Amino acid sequence: MNPAAQSYIHEARDLLTQLEQMLLDLETDASPEAIDSVFRALHTLKGGGGMFGFPALSAFVHHFEDAFDRVREGKIGISKPLLDAALEGRDHVIALLDAGGDEAATAELVGSNQARRILAALEGAVAGAPPAVVRLHRWEVSFRPSKGSLRCGMRPDLLLEELRELGECRIRCDVSDLPSLESLDPTLSHLGWVVELTTAQPRAAIETVFVFADDADPRIVQLDLDEEPQIVAATPVTAASAEVVTAPAVATAPAAPAARSGQRSQSLAAQDTVRVPSAKLDSILDQLGELVIAQARLNQTAARLGDSTLEGLVEEVHRLVTGLRDTTLSVRMLPIETVFGKFRRVVRDLSTELGKDVVLVTDGGETEIDKNVLDRLSEPLVHMIRNSADHGIEAAADRVAAGKPAQGRVRLAASQDAGEIVIVIEDDGRGLDHEKIRLKAIERGLLAADARPSEAALAQMIFAPGFSTADKVSSVSGRGVGMDAVLSAITALRGTVEVTSRKGEGTRLTLRLPLSLAIIDGLLVRLGPDVFVLPLIAVEECVEFDVTELTRSSGRRMLRIREHLVPFVDLADALDGTVENDGRRRVVIVRAEGERMGLVVDDILGQHQTVIKPMSAYHADLEDFAGATILADGTVALILDVAMLLRRLGGTGIGLAA
Amino acid sequence: MTQMPSAAAFADDEANSIALIIRVCGEALAIPVSHVHEVIDPIPRTRVPRASAFAPWLINVRGAVVPLVDVRQRLRMPVSHGNQGRIVVLDIAMGADSFRLAMLADEVQEVVDIDPAAVEPLPENGSPWPANYVTGALRRGDDLILLLDPENLFRPEQAA
Repeated sequence: MNPAAQSYIHEARDLLTQLEQMLLDLETDASPEAIDSVFRALHTLKGGGGMFGFPALSAFVHHFEDAFDRVREGKIGISKPLLDAALEGRDHVIALLDAGGDEAATAELVGSNQARRILAALEGAVAGAPPAVVRLHRWEVSFRPSKGSLRCGMRPDLLLEELRELGECRIRCDVSDLPSLESLDPTLSHLGWVVELTTAQPRAAIETVFVFADDADPRIVQLDLDEEPQIVAATPVTAASAEVVTAPAVATAPAAPAARSGQRSQSLAAQDTVRVPSAKLDSILDQLGELVIAQARLNQTAARLGDSTLEGLVEEVHRLVTGLRDTTLSVRMLPIETVFGKFRRVVRDLSTELGKDVVLVTDGGETEIDKNVLDRLSEPLVHMIRNSADHGIEAAADRVAAGKPAQGRVRLAASQDAGEIVIVIEDDGRGLDHEKIRLKAIERGLLAADARPSEAALAQMIFAPGFSTADKVSSVSGRGVGMDAVLSAITALRGTVEVTSRKGEGTRLTLRLPLSLAIIDGLLVRLGPDVFVLPLIAVEECVEFDVTELTRSSGRRMLRIREHLVPFVDLADALDGTVENDGRRRVVIVRAEGERMGLVVDDILGQHQTVIKPMSAYHADLEDFAGATILADGTVALILDVAMLLRRLGGTGIGLAA
Repeated sequence: MTQMPSAAAFADDEANSIALIIRVCGEALAIPVSHVHEVIDPIPRTRVPRASAFAPWLINVRGAVVPLVDVRQRLRMPVSHGNQGRIVVLDIAMGADSFRLAMLADEVQEVVDIDPAAVEPLPENGSPWPANYVTGALRRGDDLILLLDPENLFRPEQAA
């Protein structure tokens, strides 16, 4: 494929992602600017498609461009069927793009029932569209041509004429500056005008009137900034047909967010960007990893030599390497917003499918996260959001009966907290039924019949394989595949999931993820001659260990950490290690998947920022390790996979207190 | 005829017919030089808990984490835990990719030309070495040089 077509495909994909956002935005805010940007996106898609060998795509998009052109001209309004058709049309365009100009595949797509159905839906939506809803604003436009402007051919009457074309005008003439008749020079201009204009046009349209008359000192003031805009139905295009859908609260949405989002997209477009294959970034990061390691060794050598000039230099190199690392990592960072858009669509489609009114509220979309993490995060997130909407949110009638608003709310919030990304998925639904989970767990043999675990432990059981408490299986969820897959996906990203829930009030899932997959902060621990790295994210605290605990004749292996009992394991036993016991050992309290465990080690050596190297083919089946790294002294250390280790050592399974 | 693939492999091209002779447990082993990346002196190694006896360690070869392999285990020789001798760093193809590993050798001797015609098959029965690892032998004076098939010998999925 030629590079031009390749670059069209890239751009088209970006555009289609934006288009989905814009269409969803139209649902709540149909400002002229928003409609315009949809139209422009469609127009660009169509134009490029024709030029770069996607004629079928171009022809298909044409229908939508046409429809939105009519919306733009105010002939028809935004309606749900129109947006439905447009969203489906967008998905179809992606399929056409995926066909990559392959003629047979394209022809098949063009002739498919899917395509016919979408176009029919579009046609129906256009024919049955409600009249355009127009927002009128009141403006005060005043101007006073400069004294000599009439000599230059200035025609105030034409300006007034143009203003009248924009909308209804009340025109006042300001004669305060008019001299007495004997001193009046008829070739000079003495008059000013104040026009109260009511129009649907934006400020820019009014400014255009004065584009060649800026010496007339035009002042444009919006009069109704604080008032609700007036809503007027434009002349209906067609007689109300059976399919008319009342426009949702489109027109009453405040104008401010639209203005803001408009600015944002402009500022994004203005930034200069370079498209770089991510493999190149990966290789930069690899080399940077080596650099970080070499730098650590340099530090150590310099400390040993004790040369002050060298130490100064080392310090500077350290600063530069740290800066370079931060910049390089930031290059790979993308705002999490880029996947949030997808979820709005998911919830929208789901609302329709489940017959529930659910809205997705997002927060902290600007939080940045490593692209690799982001790519692998979107599937589990979709799953959790679907679960929240399906299991969590009750039917509207039940919600009203429970004294809640009929519309269910799923909140998706991201934030950064001390080197971690925290993502919260929260619904205001029925919450988890702990008793039901307990019974189900007993039925599935995950729990002893007389076990009475804490609510937190029960909540965590929803991540056990094959676990679902939904009574009826919907097409969305309820088959119990999923939450365990979610857990393993998050664990593979070295993150954790925690679930908390209150009956009747809702459920909250809290995800904690590392900022980057390539570099982690680790805690170095020593076991005899071996050094291991524990990911700091999993470490809760380190305490002195009383070695007599290991020899309790009762066999009890529990530590009291403040008010909690925490089971512990001698890491030397777990890893077939040897112990260099001088009577003082330490215990590292780690947490994974909601479980805590103490790992007894010989010594804690300190923190170390490490570059993770994958395990070799010979050791890939050793689940205890997340990877290996090179320490400052050049030796290799293994990085423990705390979640896997705890699963192996915890024995019985997830959620069961040891 | 088990020796055929190896004889062919050694004769395939110039690089394959040249081999590095190393000694392990007194036996001379030949590895095609095309697989050999470098030979280094012993360096600190890291034990991998619960790993197979075939690849029980990791070492740092110029910034890369590389598994350190002991072929004695697969060649049915007595396993020793000493950290003497030399380390031979090899590149082994696996599918379309290749991966790097290091192997322990008691001694690295020399580079020799292998004459495919002089390669003798090992006896079908009674050979102490598995035929898929050692595919032939070469007589040189009183010495017997064993021709290794690196792709087979170092294949990861053949667990201990």
